[in-house]
Amino acid sequence: MSESGSLHRPSATPHPWARTTIAAIITLVLLSPILVVFWLALRAPVAWQQAGPTLGTFWYVLTETKVLHWLGNSLLVSLISTVCSVLVAAPAGYVLSRGRGGATSAFSLFIFVLQSLPAVAFVIPLFIMFANLGLADTLTGVSIVYVASSIAVGCWMMTAYFDTLPVTLEEAAWIDGASLFGGFVRIILPNSLPGILSTALFAFLHSWNDYLVASVFLRSESAFTMPIGLQTFFQQNLADWGPVMACAVIMLAPPVIVFAVLNRYFSIGGIGGSLAGR
Amino acid sequence: MTYQLAVHRRTPRLGRRLTLTGLALPALLLMVVVNAYPLVFAAIQSVHSGSLITPGPFVGLRNFADVLGDPGFWKAAGFTLIFTASAVFGSWALGFALAILLKPQFPGRGAFKVLLLLPWIVPIVVTAMSWNWLLAGRESLLPSLARALGMGNVMFLGNPTLAMITVCVFKVWISYPFMMMMCAAALESVEASIYEASAIDGASKWQQFFHIVLPVTARSTYISWILMAVFSINDFPTIYLLTRGGPLEATSSLIVLAYKTTFLDFLPGNGIAIAFFMTAVMIALSVVLLRQIRKASLQ
Repeated sequence: MSESGSLHRPSATPHPWARTTIAAIITLVLLSPILVVFWLALRAPVAWQQAGPTLGTFWYVLTETKVLHWLGNSLLVSLISTVCSVLVAAPAGYVLSRGRGGATSAFSLFIFVLQSLPAVAFVIPLFIMFANLGLADTLTGVSIVYVASSIAVGCWMMTAYFDTLPVTLEEAAWIDGASLFGGFVRIILPNSLPGILSTALFAFLHSWNDYLVASVFLRSESAFTMPIGLQTFFQQNLADWGPVMACAVIMLAPPVIVFAVLNRYFSIGGIGGSLAGR
Repeated sequence: MTYQLAVHRRTPRLGRRLTLTGLALPALLLMVVVNAYPLVFAAIQSVHSGSLITPGPFVGLRNFADVLGDPGFWKAAGFTLIFTASAVFGSWALGFALAILLKPQFPGRGAFKVLLLLPWIVPIVVTAMSWNWLLAGRESLLPSLARALGMGNVMFLGNPTLAMITVCVFKVWISYPFMMMMCAAALESVEASIYEASAIDGASKWQQFFHIVLPVTARSTYISWILMAVFSINDFPTIYLLTRGGPLEATSSLIVLAYKTTFLDFLPGNGIAIAFFMTAVMIALSVVLLRQIRKASLQ
């Protein structure tokens, strides 16, 4: 979320600390289901018969389960699909931002319609198609699906950012002899880092948090990503909340850390504008 | 943003169109291969019986007739409607309220803005487990609280009606951060001078809200409703991870029913038929809605 310019600076309230108190109470209530995860993660495994809180549970799940392997798989899949998503969504977003006329309109409609379709409808045929190509139970397979399914929102986010860049920026380059493509690569892209980071962050969260595609595609334990690994582990240890929640903390850490670092670039509020007027 | 072609003499019209097509091509190809092509495949499978991997004989529209004749389908359609409506309006109301709360400057505002997004950032697999811990067991936190208050044994996920409410509340909790971000962006577009001018004219906070904030953000609100409706209709993990569609199929939305029919009852023909109904409705709906969005933006 970028800071607004000086003209739009939020005005101060008469009782700033009262507002802080209200916000703190609301935040505490709304985040309680997440705080619970951290609290439960300190419980020792049932087998230890230990009452007090301990960090030993983390050591237990790191050494006794495959959580590190799942974490590695998830990181690999998410990072690769994030990079590919940006590479595909940025040029498509540029087309939506600068293109005019029937073809652009049709392209915009195509993206919106495909985005609206239920994933269950194509996840089965896709599984069969990927099985024939030897991609079904692989990380490559799920990565391809994640890139495709993050294009729509990614593309709208890039469009929203490109819309904030004046066309005069490229026009200057064209006068100097650059082509349309050259202007995009050399002028627009280097000036779009916030938009690119924002889109990348969305793509990362999207692939990290997915459950449906991974649950259909990934069959062997060596290919499990974090959501499937954690869900399987949860079902095998239903009453053993300590180790299960320790794994959960390990799973929620990467997206929370990445978001904490990059949140000032993140802006999804503009996607409404990319849908309109095209 | 008007595009001035005259400046751009070096690349002729055709070259420009080719370049733009080329830039859109990777996205287009990927979406055709991963989304559009499987839909054709699904269409073929929906008129066959048989298992997941080997399609059986052609059965015409029998799968569709089966599905439409099944009361479970209509029950799921009804819950989809309830789930979507509560997701859209619940998360909008909460998100809008929080966006307004966080608009003025106050100590800690930046931190709250980030912290309140956490339900959207933390994976659903994790939050579904923690909600499960808070709600489901006899010894869980909220049932114990209910007993202490003399309400008896409240089964949040065991009683069909309560489970429906719980799933909807869970969905609102997951989705309000998205609405908060959309509303915050819309609120930022309202110039501070409008508030000042209306305050000088003697407008109260409520008058400002109903006569300035709501109308000015109406278009953006409408778009965010549509997006949230589309996301909710297609939302599988939120429901499935919390309740598996139970108890007694009370919380099975259409997409959960399609998944269960295909992967648990091993009736892919019927499962895909359900998904296909959704697809047909969604295509019709999205074409109409996008046209509405464009029309609204021209005003």
